[in-house]
Amino acid sequence: MKTIQKITKASLFLFLAAALMIGCKKDDDSPKPSSSNPPVNEEELITTVKITFVDTAGIEPPVTVFFRDPDGDGGNAPTQFDTIRLAANTVYNANLEVFDESKNPVENITTEIVEEADEHIFCFTPTNVNLSIIRTDSDGTYEIGLASQWTTGTASVGTTQVVLKHQPGVKDGTCAPGDTDVELNFVTEIQ
Amino acid sequence: MKGLLLLILLSIVSQSVVFSQTPSCEFTLSGIVIDEHDQQALSFSTIYIVELEKGFISDMNGVFVVPNLCKQNYTLVIGHIGCEPDTQQILITQHTKKTFYLEHHIEELKEFAIIENEIKPLSSVVKKELSPEELTKTRGRTLGESMKELTGVTTLTTGNSISKPVIHGMHSDRILILNNGIRQEGQQWGSEHAPEIDPFIANKLSVVKGAQSVRYGANAIGGVVLVEAADLPDSSGINGEINAIGSSNGQQGVSSAMLEGKSNKLLGIAWRVQGSLKKSGNVHTPNYFLKNTGVEEQNFSWTLGLNKEKYGVELFYSQFNSIIGIFSGAHIGNLTDLQTAFAAEEPLEKADFTYDIERPYQKIEHELFKVKSYVATGKVGKLELVYARQFNLRNEFDKHQPRGRENDPNLPDLKFGLTTHTGDLIWEHERIKKFKGSIGVSGFYQGNTTEGRNFIPNFIKYSSGIFWIENWTSNNYKLQIEGGVRYDKIYQQAYVWEKEELTEPDFNYDNFSGTIGSVYKLTDNITLGYNFGSAWRPPGINELFSDGVHHGAAAVEIGNRTLSPEKAYNNLFSVEYRAEKLLIQVEGYYNHIADYIYLAPELPPTLTIRGAFPTFRYKQTTATFKGVDTKVEYHFHKNVTYTGKVSLIRAFDETADEWLYGIPSDRFENGINFHVDSLKSLKNLFIGVSLQHVLEQTRYEANSDFVPPPKGYELLSLQAGLEIPLYKTKKQTVPLIIGMQINNLLNTTYRDYLNKFRYYSDEMGRNFILQLKTTF
Repeated sequence: MKTIQKITKASLFLFLAAALMIGCKKDDDSPKPSSSNPPVNEEELITTVKITFVDTAGIEPPVTVFFRDPDGDGGNAPTQFDTIRLAANTVYNANLEVFDESKNPVENITTEIVEEADEHIFCFTPTNVNLSIIRTDSDGTYEIGLASQWTTGTASVGTTQVVLKHQPGVKDGTCAPGDTDVELNFVTEIQ
Repeated sequence: MKGLLLLILLSIVSQSVVFSQTPSCEFTLSGIVIDEHDQQALSFSTIYIVELEKGFISDMNGVFVVPNLCKQNYTLVIGHIGCEPDTQQILITQHTKKTFYLEHHIEELKEFAIIENEIKPLSSVVKKELSPEELTKTRGRTLGESMKELTGVTTLTTGNSISKPVIHGMHSDRILILNNGIRQEGQQWGSEHAPEIDPFIANKLSVVKGAQSVRYGANAIGGVVLVEAADLPDSSGINGEINAIGSSNGQQGVSSAMLEGKSNKLLGIAWRVQGSLKKSGNVHTPNYFLKNTGVEEQNFSWTLGLNKEKYGVELFYSQFNSIIGIFSGAHIGNLTDLQTAFAAEEPLEKADFTYDIERPYQKIEHELFKVKSYVATGKVGKLELVYARQFNLRNEFDKHQPRGRENDPNLPDLKFGLTTHTGDLIWEHERIKKFKGSIGVSGFYQGNTTEGRNFIPNFIKYSSGIFWIENWTSNNYKLQIEGGVRYDKIYQQAYVWEKEELTEPDFNYDNFSGTIGSVYKLTDNITLGYNFGSAWRPPGINELFSDGVHHGAAAVEIGNRTLSPEKAYNNLFSVEYRAEKLLIQVEGYYNHIADYIYLAPELPPTLTIRGAFPTFRYKQTTATFKGVDTKVEYHFHKNVTYTGKVSLIRAFDETADEWLYGIPSDRFENGINFHVDSLKSLKNLFIGVSLQHVLEQTRYEANSDFVPPPKGYELLSLQAGLEIPLYKTKKQTVPLIIGMQINNLLNTTYRDYLNKFRYYSDEMGRNFILQLKTTF
């Protein structure tokens, strides 16, 4: 009985010590926002894709198309989704840029993609349109697709799918692995 | 820390008591033993004095005399044939007269939970529970997985580590989980938010319906899950329990330890400390490892209690800490990714075994502090005051650190902090004539803060309620009727940023809920039960406000601020046949839910820079849930038992004339168990096999899901166990309880409809489990 009492007492003191060490955590901040400024979203979104086409022969005028959803997913619908109109039988150099227009000033995400070129790839898939596209830049091992060459055939109308894949650690030159950051089906007219 | 102060105070007081005792052994304890129900004297009752190791017997009229007692505390065990023995502490300082009330223990009515212990709730409908012995077999699993043993309960899972109980097709905000008598307040609305409770805290797990919805407030539409700890020890000494569990799949190790005791010297304070640890690495399906599916968990709790006849105080504190890796292959950017993942034979992201947890993962903390106190109000009842505070912190880390945040890798992409204070004041009265019941009021405050990705807003919530429950039992105990009513008022205000402007929409809800149920013992073998209950649920914060792409679901979910509360009307019938060799339990239910809140597909899909997303908006309809649960046990030989279980459920949207989405398919389970009570020094030996058969869910609407439900499957599992004597003390033999299990014995490849990762990967393959337990 004696030892049991000793153990009991010792345990109780241990308890006390434990209780002292582990106090309750304080309540989190008040749910009601104290400032009248909205919380800053540090996270960068891709809201805008811009593609600029330049005729390698310098004959046809340059073409610029946009996809714009300045407030990101959900909320308001996208504000701009252009049709790609290219001249027939022409070779264009295409230059792709992406932006975050939900920020002020607007952030150019293209520079980050260039910095992390070994984690990103753009893929282009024309459908029902006489068009062939090849990537013309490289991260040292695999292509990136910020720069590409678009060769048009005879007049036709279809779509071109533009996909940006984020592939950290798994980039293999194809579009299969990774998560999709951009997936747009531009209506494409060859005139 | 009010609790701490009290603790210090108690230890100081106890010191002075220890030295104030002087022996003088001349006192007599005399009295009478009476049946609590009919007030009849119990002749030939036994009064055993633990300290003297001596027993006394009352006469024909229940009268007893115990002579030569010293001036000290004694532990008495009062017993009578057919009664649950009652242990009581009594302090002798003079000649003492005392009346003891015993409760006739009626075996057949046990299932209907007339729990005389005032602290526990009443329930009039069949209560399904896992006993401590059954719980032992589930050790090492999560709380949700443990509950699957109960007929009618399935789980909604997100991979192998996140599981939520589903009762009769309902889960999340539609069921209440009570952890040690306190409503668990985590971020329950999310299907990938598992209950933040250490399963080792539980000594008993049960699912109850009926009066519970009235006792604990809104939301108990599908039922109430009770996670109950054992009562604190009422005799002096120290007891403990140690568990160690290892599993081959995931190379999981779980350990837990518990120590409890009571000192008669320290004012009779009883205490318990308990903790558990868990670590698991990547699990594997029959064909491949699942990347980033490890889990880590560290939990502990302590309890301190002083339980006297006239008053009592109990303090409880628990902390739950968990890091859960989320299977990397389930992270998708858009619908095309989902379809690619689904079409792939194996996940595109390969992995080997590792304990390392990477992004994406969840880091969760839950803290509960509770003070419960009671005072006796005369002879007929007691007044109980319970206060509890909970803090739930949920951090979610996405697969990739968002651009612009690379410098701060420990910053969660989404963080919820939920603080809840609850208070209850309840007066419970003992049986007055044939009535026994309770009346109570409760108050509730909750505040939520959100940081990071915009999903749900900050909010505050107040609620208050008042209830009254009465239970009537006939003289011969053949009929019991229980009824209760409750009224709740809930106020909720959200703080929403819309176009850089702060709006503060608020919501008021109030409603009555009620229940009436009855249990009737038709013959010695047959018991019938029926319960009608109404319950309601205010819309959840996600249902009101969510707006955006649901992470991982490849769908846009849009909240609806005009939702009104759900109102449910539940009918439950039960029949039980219990004979020497055969047990049959059948339970049927029919639940009608008005203004049932669900996600309805909406056209056109939402166009985003990542493509078009299927879009769903929260809407309301009239829904019905009906089903049958059956359990059969047949002891066809003294060593061999057959167990069979069947669960069928049909859930229907009555307005649209369509099946409801995400309902468990029909399932059957058959098992044979061979058991021997003792073999030489070994005890409780058993070996059994069970075959679970889950059908394909064919009752779904074509456009409600991205892919059709997975095929049905059959799983074979093996269980065995025994108790070996470890060593002997003066009082007892300390056993080592060994359990062995092989789950998915045939290494079957399958997917489950209620796993959110069914699009991406197979379920876990074969798993060997070894469980060791000892109590002392």
